[in-house]
This record gives sequence, C-alpha cells and structure tokens, in this order.
Amino acid sequence: MYLGIYETVSHWIPEKSRVLDLGAGDGAFLERLVQTRQVVGEGVEKDAELVARCVERGLVVHQGDIADGLDQYGDQTFDFVLLLGTFQELVSPADILREAFRVGRHVVIAHTNFAHFSVRLQVLLRGRTPMTQFLPTHWYHTQNLHFFSILDFQDFCRETGIQELNQAYFNIRGAVRFLPNLRAEEAVSWLQLDPISRRSVTVERGKTKTEPYQI
Amino acid sequence: MAALPTNIVQGDLQDQKTADYQSPLGVTHTQTATLPGIRTQSGFTFEQVDVAYQTLGTLSPARDNAILICPALSGDAHVAGMHPDTSRPGWWDYHVGPGKAIDTDKFFIICVSMLGGCGSTTGPTSLRPETGKPYGMTFPPVTIRDMVVVQIRLLDHLGILQLFAAIGGSMGGMQALALAVDHPQRVRVCIPIATCTSHSAMQIAFNEIGRRAISNDPDWNEGNYNADRRPIRGLAIARMVGHVTYLSESAMTHKFGRERRTEHSASGDEATSFSVESYLHHQGQSFVKRFDPNAYLYLTRAIDQFDLFEGGPAAEVLRQVRARFLVISFASDWLYPPVQSRELVRQLKRANIPVSYLNLETEYGHDSFLIENPAFANVVRHYLINEYVHPPN
Repeated sequence: MYLGIYETVSHWIPEKSRVLDLGAGDGAFLERLVQTRQVVGEGVEKDAELVARCVERGLVVHQGDIADGLDQYGDQTFDFVLLLGTFQELVSPADILREAFRVGRHVVIAHTNFAHFSVRLQVLLRGRTPMTQFLPTHWYHTQNLHFFSILDFQDFCRETGIQELNQAYFNIRGAVRFLPNLRAEEAVSWLQLDPISRRSVTVERGKTKTEPYQI
Repeated sequence: MAALPTNIVQGDLQDQKTADYQSPLGVTHTQTATLPGIRTQSGFTFEQVDVAYQTLGTLSPARDNAILICPALSGDAHVAGMHPDTSRPGWWDYHVGPGKAIDTDKFFIICVSMLGGCGSTTGPTSLRPETGKPYGMTFPPVTIRDMVVVQIRLLDHLGILQLFAAIGGSMGGMQALALAVDHPQRVRVCIPIATCTSHSAMQIAFNEIGRRAISNDPDWNEGNYNADRRPIRGLAIARMVGHVTYLSESAMTHKFGRERRTEHSASGDEATSFSVESYLHHQGQSFVKRFDPNAYLYLTRAIDQFDLFEGGPAAEVLRQVRARFLVISFASDWLYPPVQSRELVRQLKRANIPVSYLNLETEYGHDSFLIENPAFANVVRHYLINEYVHPPN
C-alpha cells in the first residue's frame, strides 16, 4: 500500500522540482525522488538516528520538529512540500499546512481514513475503539490525535480555501477507485491554495475559520 | 543506573594521562613555515608570520582532497598521532586517522596553530623583531578572521587553491565559518560544530572570569612575566572555569557524583576532596604547563569579538558563499546551545545555501566533539565521503 502511495506521488512530481519532505524518515523515498525524478530535495526529520541515515544517503536534511514551524525556509522556496507520514498525528495540522503553503506552492498529504468499513463495523458491533492492520495500537498507545475520514478532509479543504488537484486511495489490496470513503484505508491528496480566494487556515479554540491568506 | 559509558569516563585526549593510548598514526610531526606577513583587522602589520602546521595523509594528484581542521581554544597544530617529544596524542586523534571520521587514507589533512596562540605560530610568546623580546601584551589584538588569513597563506604555500573541506568545533567552527564567508572560492564544504556566529553575553561572561583570574594574578605583571614565574594560578583557575562550561550536569554526575578521594601532598599530608575538585585541579595544573597566559587572553578576546555578520546583514554577507554546509550541535551543550546552531542554519538556508543540520543527543556537553563519539564520527565520515565522491553540479 505504501509502495502505491510513493509510486503515485513520484508520478505527480515533475522532474527537477524543488521538494521538501516533512517527516523524511530514513530518506529512502526522497533518495528515490532524487534518483528517478532528479528533484532538488531536502528533508526535515525529528529523530537524530534517522537524520544520520539521511546524511548517509547523501541527502540534505534538517533535524527539527515540524510542529516548531519551518522558519528556516523562506517563502515559496519549494515547488512541492510532502507530508506523507503523520498528518493525523500533528497537534495543529492546520497550522502546519499553512506553513507548508508558505514555503511551497504545492503540498502533498497522506492520511489515514477513519471511515473505512472495518472501522465502522468494529465501532458498531463491538462498541470499542477499532483496531485494524493499519490501526494496530490500543487507544491509549496510538500516535493518532485526529480521527477523520476522506469526506472530512474534503470538507476541511473546501472550508479553508484549498484545492485538491488530484487524489488517490489505497487499501491493503492496492488502489481503490470506487467508494473510497468506505473502502480505502489511506488517502493521498495533491493540494494547492485556491488561486482565487488565496484563503488560508487558522484554527482557534477548536473552531476552523477562514481568513484572507497572508504571506 | 545504566552502565557508565566509557567514553564519558575517558573524556577528551587533552591533558589526561595517556600512557595506554595508542594512535594508529604512530608518531606525527609538526612543521613550521615562515610566510609573507599579514595586516591584521586592527591595522597592525606583521612583516612575516611563522606558521606551525601538521599534515596527514596524501594530497591527491588533482589536489582536491585537502581538509583544513581548525582547532578550538586549547588545541594546536598537533591534531592526531603521537607527539615525538611529549608522547601526547593529538587533540582530535579519536576522530582523525585511518578509517576514522576524517579519514587520513582518503583525505589530506592540514591543521594550523592559531595566530595569537602559543603553538609555534606567531603569538605573544614570539620575539618582537625590533626588541628581540617576547611581544607579551604588546602583541596586537588579533581576530578569528586574521587567523583565517594566516591559514590561507599556508594554503598558498602548500599550493592548494581550493580546500575540499574546512571543519572545526567551537572556536574552530568560527574559523571554518569565517573561511567559507571571507574566502568563498577556497572551500567546497564547511562543517561548523558546536559553534555560533557571535558570542552571547553568557559566553563572554565566562571568558571574562578566566581573563580576570589571569590579570589579577600578581605574577601576571601586566603581561611581562618570566618563564620561571608565570601567572599559572590565574591560568589554572581560568581553565577550571572553562572545563565546567565544557561539561554538562549529567556528565559530571556520571563521571564524579559525590565521590571523594584522598591525596597525599609532597610533605606527606593527607587531604580528602571531592573527585570533581581533584579533576579540575589536575586539568588546571596540566594546562598551565603547555599554555601561555597572555595567549589565553588574546584568544578569548578574539572569540568574544567574533561576529560573522559584522560586515552587514546576514543575507548580504552570505551571498558570496559557495560552500555546502553540515552544521552539528549537541543537545547537552549549554555553552554553545543548539539554538545558536539553529539560528546559523536558518540564516544559511534563507540565503539558499545547501545545509544539513544535526543535533546529537550526546550527554557530554560542549566537549561532545572531542570525546570518542560513534554517532558523531559516523555522520561526519559519511557526509565527507558522499560530498567528495558525488560532488553536486
């Protein structure tokens, strides 16, 4: 499944783009983008050991927590900003998305779909927090902070002035084309700011509201 | 409690008993060259300068594999291998040698004693040509940038147009930065470690305590002291203060705790003290044997005065820079805290300079780059080899 996501994303990214990979991990995907798409890549990763792995691969990498912002990068430094690992684990995903759109023109986000039918069934029939192959941990151990579905994410984009240029859905068997909100376990979206409204995302006291986009 | 990491107990290679230590490089030598003079930033002209330096490894036929190692405050040209007279290992022997972080099998290593220091490079202990007596405090104020000009003189002398890399920790990191900024054509890769672009008030404050300890020593005599009566008490205290700032609270707890030891003085008296006390006394006493008090004043002044961006706004100063950077800091370093390295990284990135940044979780404080440190060594080694083998277009 993750292979499918990476395959899809690397097809979306034009050759020689400037790419920032947030949560770059050990740099394997970014290295592949550099090799197959000749991108000028850079990673941000919080774990020192994974940063060292990126250095071993010869990647430019920055050790930092994306929750602290991306102040080290100037406005519109990148063509693509990738958030492929952890969107539902971020404390303030909307703030990070705004930072991503400050430093890059396009943002690609992957997230887990919490409306997959096995999740729905488990809540309905067992009355307990679901555990699946892709939600393998108990509620008290999970890294996930935000539980949202593909439809939720589409609403979020609409309300915050973000356009979905393309999207792809996956489950354990591969790509999902029909009824993704029911059948997909992972979604990946190619986003840009609505060029007309140029609105951005702010979150205050748990409410989402839209404001004029400011760089 | 977890087993005590041996590298923390061993500490760095300076001023410790190293009878059991073997360097794979064997005995290494330092040479001295007399080179065309320089005009310092303060306007003083040296007609010529003596430069003490060590080289290790072999310069490639293309002359493209030279790495300049810039020493920190207490380091000198003797960077690795065993000293022929004192049998002391070089100050960075843990990380410089065959197969080590800075690999002498692949790279040609150059390390230079600093202008204004007390190696055999021109400094306050050198003889003033007009008088035939040591400069002492008549030595002109020197800066990090002056030290870099002397290093460039040596590169000219050795016929090295462009370094592959400049690397240094602490004060050495300042030199590496100044070289990449002031002489952009001369270096391809810059690795500043546990350093900053200018000292904070706290960093200046600790240096001032050291300087005051020296200048308040009655033997200092305005800098005119004889070899047999140097202000060694002041210098020892300066070094003790320095050592506290180079460690971290947890490293000191691990290494010393509240352990006590009994020492016997020459007169046969017994005295019990905390081991951290005897450690600091030992560090102070061995430092004064090899370091000149006036040089300590000059070098700490140079560090405090350093400002990478004294020439203008960061964006302008960095516009000429051609090097790629690897910036390393240590989470437990409270003397050069990671926030200073992150600010440097931010300024470099905002100037569109390719820079990687790593903040290692080593618990040894500022000294983390001087001790045996596999995580640190691994990153430096891979970075250097990658950049050398696959230079970007």
